[in-house]
Amino acid sequence: MECVVQGIIETQHVEALEILLQGICGVPRERLRLHEICLKSGPSLGAVASEVRILCDLEQAEPTWTVKHIGGAIRGAGAEQLSVLVRTMVESKVSKNVLRLFYALGYKLDHELLRVGFAFRFHRGAHITVTVSSVNKMLKLHSTDEAVPVTPGIQLVEVTAPATSDNYSEVAGAVSTFCEYLAPLLHLSKPGISTGVVPTAAAAAASLLSADGAGTTM
Amino acid sequence: MPLKWVLHWQPNAGSTVNSQILNEVSQCVESIHGVKGGKWKATLTFYKPILRDQNSPAAEFPRDFLGISLPEQPNKYYLIIRGQRIVLEADFTIQAIMEKLQSYKLRVALNFEGFQYQLGDFQLRVGKVVPNNSENLRGIVMEIEYLPISSMEKSRQVMEEFFDVWQEAMSKSSLPGRFMHIESNFAEYGLSDYYTSQHTAVQYGNVMAQLIATVQAVQSARN
Repeated sequence: MECVVQGIIETQHVEALEILLQGICGVPRERLRLHEICLKSGPSLGAVASEVRILCDLEQAEPTWTVKHIGGAIRGAGAEQLSVLVRTMVESKVSKNVLRLFYALGYKLDHELLRVGFAFRFHRGAHITVTVSSVNKMLKLHSTDEAVPVTPGIQLVEVTAPATSDNYSEVAGAVSTFCEYLAPLLHLSKPGISTGVVPTAAAAAASLLSADGAGTTM
Repeated sequence: MPLKWVLHWQPNAGSTVNSQILNEVSQCVESIHGVKGGKWKATLTFYKPILRDQNSPAAEFPRDFLGISLPEQPNKYYLIIRGQRIVLEADFTIQAIMEKLQSYKLRVALNFEGFQYQLGDFQLRVGKVVPNNSENLRGIVMEIEYLPISSMEKSRQVMEEFFDVWQEAMSKSSLPGRFMHIESNFAEYGLSDYYTSQHTAVQYGNVMAQLIATVQAVQSARN
């Protein structure tokens, strides 16, 4: 299970966001270069149509592979009131022949993406991961070197934290509290509910950059 | 990691496996001064495709695939499609993912369980093969693990010599069958000479195929 919120930010403000995150989290950022391959079950396979993601971490010297299944969101009045989405999520690290195995099982390529950016992982009431990435599509199959942005000038920000059925309220609370720190730069909301970029972003970014000195033009 | 051979008990024509044989095998290990250690257990599960349309061509999918857990890697799970020579090493959470996908269902699960024995540089594991919900003996397996070496090729001679000694010891019991070692086709699975747990999983997959063939041969002889 995981708690998740998403938002978008203009690329020109990403540097300010990084400074803000660095200040809040107190940990160094990690570079992110993730090839995400989404597979769907063939038309006659399975009790229901199913979808699975194969992730290849290209940032490692030897790329590592993970299978990820994202399930449905929890429902009910309690879930409605939460400002974050709580959904089932299972991951499994696997050997590099995973794609061949799923093709053999009857899964087909649906789409693939390359996420390039950075991530912060830290503990603040929960084990929170913030990723800031540009989402790219491949012009040719698996050609990660020739990827182009899906939304030029806009980057995706995602905040996730692992949770269990016993503690998801606390984890959701911790994620919500954390998101408030980022509010001047971006709005984070449940996936699928787009709130766009925030009007205060430019001013907040300018303030952050001048405070840090990083934005000083020579 | 140390390499091993996984052997299966091949009953003579007309005979079947029984718990008396298992007892005698265990006694035989002790007779060659194997020091009894703790219990061990591996599991092997058959997964079959769930087809939405029963008329869809089944050839599109493998008839089954195997899921294997090994005591040497308790946090890992191995998936094998034998027809296509694929072995995948995964975190054990892959089982939960397969369950959520609802594309393949668990059909039969077998346990391989017994005791392990230390014998100098060798570790032996003798085990019965039983369905996970009953005590019906389906077969007997044995692992011979040679601790100092990880290269399949370099260890071949010492493994063959030990296997000869073992067969010699077993021959004194006059049991109706013998342990067989099938050369596994590791290269076809893309596995190198350096031994890993994926090699063990492939061997269990091959042993399972042998056990099924043995059962089928007995059944066709009866009919």
